[in-house]
Amino acid sequence: MRRLLASEFLKLRRKMIWFLIVLGPAGVIALQAVNYGLRFDYLMKNYAGDPWGYLIKNVSMLLIPALLMGMTIISSMIATLEHHTNAWKQTIALPVSRTKLYLGKFAVTTMLLLVSTVLVLAGTVALGLIFGFELQALPWDTLLIALYGAFIGALPYLAVQIWLAVTLNNQAIPLTVGISGLVLSMLMINGSSSKNWLPWKWPYLALLEPVFPVAAGLAASAVLYLLGSLHFARKDVG
Amino acid sequence: MTDLVIETKGLTKTLGGRNVVDKLDLRIKRGDIYGFLGPNGAGKTTTIKMLLGLARPSSGQVRLFGRSIRKERVALLRKVGSLVEYPSYYGHLNAKENLETIRLLLPGVRRSRIDEVLSIVRLTKDAQRQVKGYSLGMKQRLGIAAALLGEPELLILDEPTNGLDPSGIIEIRELIRSMPGQYGMTVLVSSHLLTEVGQMATEVGIVSKGKLVFQDRLEVLKGRSRQQIHIRLNDQQRAFNLLHAHGFKAELTDGRLYVPKADDQRIASVVRMLVQQGIEISRVEEEGDTLESVFLHMTGGEGGL
Repeated sequence: MRRLLASEFLKLRRKMIWFLIVLGPAGVIALQAVNYGLRFDYLMKNYAGDPWGYLIKNVSMLLIPALLMGMTIISSMIATLEHHTNAWKQTIALPVSRTKLYLGKFAVTTMLLLVSTVLVLAGTVALGLIFGFELQALPWDTLLIALYGAFIGALPYLAVQIWLAVTLNNQAIPLTVGISGLVLSMLMINGSSSKNWLPWKWPYLALLEPVFPVAAGLAASAVLYLLGSLHFARKDVG
Repeated sequence: MTDLVIETKGLTKTLGGRNVVDKLDLRIKRGDIYGFLGPNGAGKTTTIKMLLGLARPSSGQVRLFGRSIRKERVALLRKVGSLVEYPSYYGHLNAKENLETIRLLLPGVRRSRIDEVLSIVRLTKDAQRQVKGYSLGMKQRLGIAAALLGEPELLILDEPTNGLDPSGIIEIRELIRSMPGQYGMTVLVSSHLLTEVGQMATEVGIVSKGKLVFQDRLEVLKGRSRQQIHIRLNDQQRAFNLLHAHGFKAELTDGRLYVPKADDQRIASVVRMLVQQGIEISRVEEEGDTLESVFLHMTGGEGGL
């Protein structure tokens, strides 16, 4: 597995992927910096009771669409590496099981996006400190749940994107599905709580009550991942 | 322990209701250079994909080194190097990086092997360049290098000389010819060009419309071609009569004189007799059914030469 990941990461060289992995978090943090910069006094008055909590909330409201976008784009780019010259027929003819190759693609995408969330985490803390919030008052649990609860809540979405991107030559399909999902999820932010079973809401729910979206996210992504992996393992290579 | 490196039994692939590969029984022995021939679209690539486990047979089975590819795919593929159809590569990486992505997935291949295979296919000089800038021939050679990387016991090359210039073709041909002797490899090389395979293969299998129409040693295929000797001379009619008078078989068609192919001595005596009778001979040449026409005949004249 270590060698498989080394191989996957080597394939990313000279591609824009690492740039995007940094660009996403930089965008999220920069937009919040502008948000606070423009109306710092107003926001501080409103959020006086819990400045960190509101910063985390504001960051996560931008992070989640960015994360869904990232999952769509990065999984497609990772798959395109193989589709481009139909390198699948070369890779799959190597002594590696197909389920392992599928896991490799999933793992690389997940790891790259985790790097992005760590950058968002660091950026959020840095932003708060610049605004003069007390480090001792930082609610780490809220911060971690907001970021990684959302990440886990979005894993089913990633499982679907990886499956579509890896098994279809035409990347217009995973991109369309991914962006539609992103739009759908944004429309649902303020929807009634009776629709919480809809997977597109799960990343946003993590902020309110993390147990359900984390549990549902893990269960649904496991099922979707297995189905995708099974399909990939049985599929003929074109 | 059988000495068949590749064995298929009733291998069939049905796509869209048509048997693209139809009950193929391939038998390839250790140390063979097996020329896998057929016109475009005869099912060569589909067969190769099933040999490598890239595609699932609709029915029938594939055994490599006597073991089932379905059950032991990963272990068997460690001993196989392949290049299927056009070469695959990562254009943004250079040749070394491309090979490294493959080497990492081949257990027990040391890093220095990359330089070895690059020098075998003469890409050492261009190893640091991004592959997207390569010519088709160079990409093809990189694909062959990738196939050789794991020091395979079985090398499967699908149309390896596609897109190569004549000197490249000769180079690859020499390389393939040297494989069994130098590295103990067994080679399956597919092609739609009989002339090409005829120059390197020891065994030949011919597919047409998914069916195996011939499988035997190259000599047997050559023996099927009905060769004749064309003799060009100044007086066909008189020569014809003389040959018959002396008990030689001859044929006169379209003003050209043919005698059946025979050993050198017999041909020499034909020539001597004619010359002694005062006939002037300007050419004695083999003609008639070439390997190509045998091939065309077997494949139902589908062309593809």
